[in-house]
Amino acid sequence: MTPLLLAPLGLAALAALIVPLLVHLRRRTEDVPLDFAAMRWLEALPRPKQRLRFDEWLLLAVRLLLVALLALLLARPAVLGWDDDSPRVLVAPGVDPAAARAAAGAEAEAYWIAPGFPAITSAPPKGPIALSSLIRQFDAELPQGAPLTILVPPVLDGVDARRLDLTRKVTWRTIAAAPGAPAEPPVPAPTLAVRYAGTEAPLRYFRAAAAAWGATEKFTAEAGDSLPPRDAVLVWLRPGPVPASVTHWVEEGGTALLASTSQLAMPAASGPLWADAAGSALVEGGPLGAGRVLRFTRPLEPAAMPDLLDPGFAAALRDLVSSPAPPPAHVAAAAAAPASTAAPYPLPPRELTAWLAVLIALAFLAERLLASRRARFAA
Amino acid sequence: MARPPLTIPPEVRSRLKRLALRTRRDMGDRGFGMHASRNKGSGIEFAQYRAYEPGDEPRRIDWKLFARSDRFFVREAEEESPIAVWVLLDASASMAQADRARPDWSRMDAAKLLALCVAELAMMQGDRFGWIGLRDGGLVVADPHRGRAQFERMQIEFSRLEPAGAFADAATLAPLWERIGAHDLVLFLSDCFDEAGIALIERLAKAGREVLAVQMLTAEERDFPFDGGYRFIDPESGADLIGDGKALRQTFLDRFAAARAALGERLDAAGIRHTAYVLGDPIDRPLHAFFGRGALPA
Repeated sequence: MTPLLLAPLGLAALAALIVPLLVHLRRRTEDVPLDFAAMRWLEALPRPKQRLRFDEWLLLAVRLLLVALLALLLARPAVLGWDDDSPRVLVAPGVDPAAARAAAGAEAEAYWIAPGFPAITSAPPKGPIALSSLIRQFDAELPQGAPLTILVPPVLDGVDARRLDLTRKVTWRTIAAAPGAPAEPPVPAPTLAVRYAGTEAPLRYFRAAAAAWGATEKFTAEAGDSLPPRDAVLVWLRPGPVPASVTHWVEEGGTALLASTSQLAMPAASGPLWADAAGSALVEGGPLGAGRVLRFTRPLEPAAMPDLLDPGFAAALRDLVSSPAPPPAHVAAAAAAPASTAAPYPLPPRELTAWLAVLIALAFLAERLLASRRARFAA
Repeated sequence: MARPPLTIPPEVRSRLKRLALRTRRDMGDRGFGMHASRNKGSGIEFAQYRAYEPGDEPRRIDWKLFARSDRFFVREAEEESPIAVWVLLDASASMAQADRARPDWSRMDAAKLLALCVAELAMMQGDRFGWIGLRDGGLVVADPHRGRAQFERMQIEFSRLEPAGAFADAATLAPLWERIGAHDLVLFLSDCFDEAGIALIERLAKAGREVLAVQMLTAEERDFPFDGGYRFIDPESGADLIGDGKALRQTFLDRFAAARAALGERLDAAGIRHTAYVLGDPIDRPLHAFFGRGALPA
C-alpha cells in the first residue's frame, strides 16, 4: 500500500497557512494610552523585543488543520495497492436470478453484466448488451488477486467475434436460463413496389421473385411514378432521368433498385454488389443519404443477363434488397469459456478525495463551533 | 460639565458620628470642638433674627425692629471660633486620574467626598470650615463659616471644580497665607506627587498650622496591574513613556514604595500627620486614622 499525491503541486496551497497565523497574531504594536501621574517612578526600559504571540491557540490549530486539509485535497492524495480482493460473481442477463443467487452464495458480491454493473438484487437488465466487452472491462478493472466467477445461461447472447481472453482464471459456470425467454420472430420478406413505363416485359421476374419469397400479395406494380411507403423496396424501371422526388425518398431512408436505363448520378461510395459467375458486376450501388440506391448494370433481359432465369435469382435479389443482417452473437456457453492468457492491466491508484472531504467537513464544523461559542464574545 | 453634587453615603455619615475633629493642642484656649452651649451672641458678625423667647436677656432685644414691627426679636450674631478647619484640595490634572475598573471615580472625586466628610464633622461640632482649591490658574477660596449653608455651598462649588493644569505656583499661593489663621487645622488632600505641594504644607506646619496630609492614590498605582504594551502619559507635563506593563512592574513598585517612604519621613520630620487613601477604600478611613480611637473601617 503506497500513499502518493496525484497533483503534488496542489501542496503549494499550504502557503495559505499564513492566513490564520496572521489572523491570530496578537497585535503588539499598538500601545494603549494611559494617564499615569506617578510616571516619574517608571523606569524607561528598552522596548521589549517583539515576540510572536498568538491568541486562541485551539481555534488557530483547528483553522491551520482546515487549511492544510484543503491543500491536501488539491494535491489529490491516493493510495496504490489498497485493493479489495474479495471474490466477485458476474451474472449474465438471461440467467434465472434466483438460481444465480443460490449459485453465488448469500455473501458474495454478485453483479449483472450490464453497463454500470448493477447488483444482482436489482431488476435484470433489458435490451441488447455487449456481453464480451463488459466482461473484459470488469476483468481489467478488477485487482489481480480477486477471484472471479461468471454465471452464464446455456446459450450466450451479445458476444462478439473475438473469443474472451481474460487476465485471470475464471470460474465459468452454466446456470439454467430464466424461463420464458422469447424466441425471435422470423424476418419478414421485403415488399417490392415496381414502377415502370411502356412495355412490362421485365416485370415478371420481380413478380416471380416475390412469389418465391411468399410475398405475392404485397407485390405492387404501377405504370405511374407514385412513391410507395418507406418500408417497401422501390423497383424503378422507367427509363430516363430519375426524378428528384425519388432521390429525396431514398435519401430519407428508402431503398431503390434502378433499371440500367434509368439515369442517376450514382453516389461516390457505390461499388459492385452482385456479380455473375464470370465475375462481372450485375448490380452496383451504395448509400445515398439515409437510404440505399442500387442499379442494374445490364438490361433486364435474359439475353443480356442470364441470371434472371437462374433458380438463385429470388434469393440473390432478397439478399440484395434486405437490410444487412446483424453479426452473429449467439454462442453455446460451454464453447465460449474464456482463456486466461491476457497480460494484466496496471490498476489506477485509489483516490482518497471522498474521505478527505468528510474530514474537511468535520474540521469546518469544529472550527465553526469554536469560533461561535458564546464565551468568546463575553469579554 | 457640572455633575450632581456629591453626597455622603448614609453608612459613612453614621460612622462619622463617632469622630470628633481634634487638634494636637486639643481643647484650646477658647474651646475647639464640641461646645457645651450653642449660645450665640457674643460675636460681631450678624447671623440671624429670631423670635423672643422667655428667658432671653432684654438687652438683646432689637428695639428698633420692635418699633417697626411691634414684635420682640432677638438679634443673634456668629460665634467667633478661634480655630477654623481648612481643606486644601489639590486640583491639578493628576488628580483626575481614575482606575480603569471604575473610570468615573477619580481621586479628585474621592478627595471632594473626603472634604465633605470633614465639613460634616465640623458642622456637627459647630466649627467654621473653608476650602481652597489649588490650581495654577488661580485659587478657589471659600472663607470659613459655620452651618449647613456653608456645607451646601461647598457641595455646589465642588461640583464645578474640575482638575486641570499643573500645581499652583508660589505667586498663586500667596493669598493662602493671609487666610489660614495661626492655629487653624489644615487638611491637605493631594496625590503628593508635586514637590510644590509638599513644600507648601511643610511651610504651613512650620508656621504653626496643624497640617494633616492625605495622599490620594489609585489602586493602579498601588498594584500596577498592567499587562501588555502601554503608553504612560503624565497628565500634567504631557511626557510619555512606552513600555510593557509586566516588565516595568517590579521596578516601579520598588521605586514607588521607596518614594512613599521618603515622603513619609519628610512629613514626619515636619510634624505633619499623614496617611494614604487608595481609591476603593472606605472614604472615611483617613479620618478614622487621624481622629478615631478604635479600628479603621474595612
